Amino acid sequence: MLTLSHVTKVFGSVIGVNDVTVEFGGGAHGLLGPNGAGKTTLLGLLTGQLRPTMGEVRVFGERPFANPRVLRRIGFCPAADLLERRATPREWVRYLLRLSGCTRRAAADQAARTLDRVGLGEACDRPLSTLSKGMRQRAKLAGAMAHEPDLLVLDEPFDGLDPVARHDLVGLVRQWAAAPDGAVGPRTLIVASHLLHEVEALRAGLAVILGGRLVASGTVGEIRDMVDTIPSEVRIRCDAPRRLAEAVCGGGAAESLRFEGDDLLVIATRQPRALAEDVARAAAGTRLAIAEMAAADRSLEGIFGRLVRLHRGVGP
Amino acid sequence: MSTASAGSSAASPDRFAAPPQPGTLGSTLAVAGFQIGRLLSRQRLLLAGLGAIFPAAVMLAVRRTAPAGLDRDLAVTMIFALVPEAVCMLGLLVTMCPAVADELERGTWVHVAVRPRGRRSLLLGTYLAAVAWTSTVAILAAALAVLAAGVARPLPLVVLFAGLVVLSTLGRAALFAVPAVVLPKRALVASVAVALTVEYLAGFIPAVVNQLTVSLRLRSLLVEWMGWRRQLPVEMRLLVDPAPAWVQAAAVVVLAVVLLVAAVKILESRQFPPSVEI
Repeated sequence: MLTLSHVTKVFGSVIGVNDVTVEFGGGAHGLLGPNGAGKTTLLGLLTGQLRPTMGEVRVFGERPFANPRVLRRIGFCPAADLLERRATPREWVRYLLRLSGCTRRAAADQAARTLDRVGLGEACDRPLSTLSKGMRQRAKLAGAMAHEPDLLVLDEPFDGLDPVARHDLVGLVRQWAAAPDGAVGPRTLIVASHLLHEVEALRAGLAVILGGRLVASGTVGEIRDMVDTIPSEVRIRCDAPRRLAEAVCGGGAAESLRFEGDDLLVIATRQPRALAEDVARAAAGTRLAIAEMAAADRSLEGIFGRLVRLHRGVGP
Repeated sequence: MSTASAGSSAASPDRFAAPPQPGTLGSTLAVAGFQIGRLLSRQRLLLAGLGAIFPAAVMLAVRRTAPAGLDRDLAVTMIFALVPEAVCMLGLLVTMCPAVADELERGTWVHVAVRPRGRRSLLLGTYLAAVAWTSTVAILAAALAVLAAGVARPLPLVVLFAGLVVLSTLGRAALFAVPAVVLPKRALVASVAVALTVEYLAGFIPAVVNQLTVSLRLRSLLVEWMGWRRQLPVEMRLLVDPAPAWVQAAAVVVLAVVLLVAAVKILESRQFPPSVEI
């Protein structure tokens, strides 16, 4: 349904997306990557706002850029906040529906239904400028889905929402992707986020993007398994790192190690639990004072970094 | 190379029922209505009110210096300079120039650009709104100025200026649409430069180049409708076109259509990079 073949997008001297080849079928998909990874550029290419510098983008079998046949089947909710001041959510959604080709009456009916669906029924006649960010986010979402698109693309849709609103909207978009109203096949939902748990909550397939490159794809479980095959680094601060290193090397959990400064030992391992036991045994046996022991790359950035290393085929 | 397949199942394109093909007219009118809604803010209404009374205030001030009453031809010339030229230009600078820049600033551009023919509708709808808004303000300004000038038989003059105002806004809004799409973030400066060089420099060069300006057509229409042609000194005749009124009006419409088509084509090919990403 959506295909990118060797797609590169360059803005002057900056590479937005670098040689990406990916295919998205029906159902929910998450596009995961830190800020600046190229997610928005990729979505811009999929939603026909940008033309690839190299490669080819196909959506529903056609090039999406300036293609009304494709664009009428796409709903897009961008990450940027809506700074429209005077319009109300009702006026805004009605306006977008008219732009999608609805008649005045159909737009009014459909806008009311969609605003109810996203939980903005009561606030739909207040100016957007007086609404909270979460409510504006709902208005944006309503605008994206009101015309019943076949492909819904959401860029950081849960950003700035409180946990309750986030839970509600996750349920809403999951329901949207799962229950097509009269459509023969499942609709396609693509959600870009820099938060793994957001994408996880959607029970979506994952594509991980970093530095403009697609570094991994699969289910959340597959990505986790993939991450676990790469040695992770554990940083141990103690008063005698060399003695600790000697003791830990005998345990078998450590794959490589290095020293940083006088008191820091960094160990790469695929078995963090076994390493922790080795370190505890060594510390007890040699009476070392361990000041700190932490996984260096458990953050999402760290996981992304490890996926990049895996993608490039280099060691930890 | 990054290769992946994130799809659970590939669906063929023909599995989905296509929504009805949207027409440009409906969406253009929707944009025009939405833009006029934006213009109905307190600030914009105040600005429009100032634009409407400014020429009348000038005419009143001039009238006070001529106790015997203003000469009709002088009053018409002044109102021509103030309304179809100045008020229309200023009104269009405010309403047409930010056609794209405003959308980018408000974060609404992306919402519109992903709609089928959204870009085209945005430009044409903004054009319609700019023409309607500026024409209304300028016709009101012309009517007030004619009354303030105290000339005899004011109604035919108001009708004459209404015609000139409509042609002025139709032509110049299209002229300003080009910098609005080529240089959206510098559209105001670019439009002022275009107005000065095209309308007030090239427009006064007695050569083929001034045939492509709105100012020549408006001047020629004024001369034609006021019956001034025979009275004009020879050197002034070079600054007006001898063709009949319908040719002048048609020339403005053709110029506007050509400029709008060019602006739409440019806008439909433009790409605005997501600044957060680069």
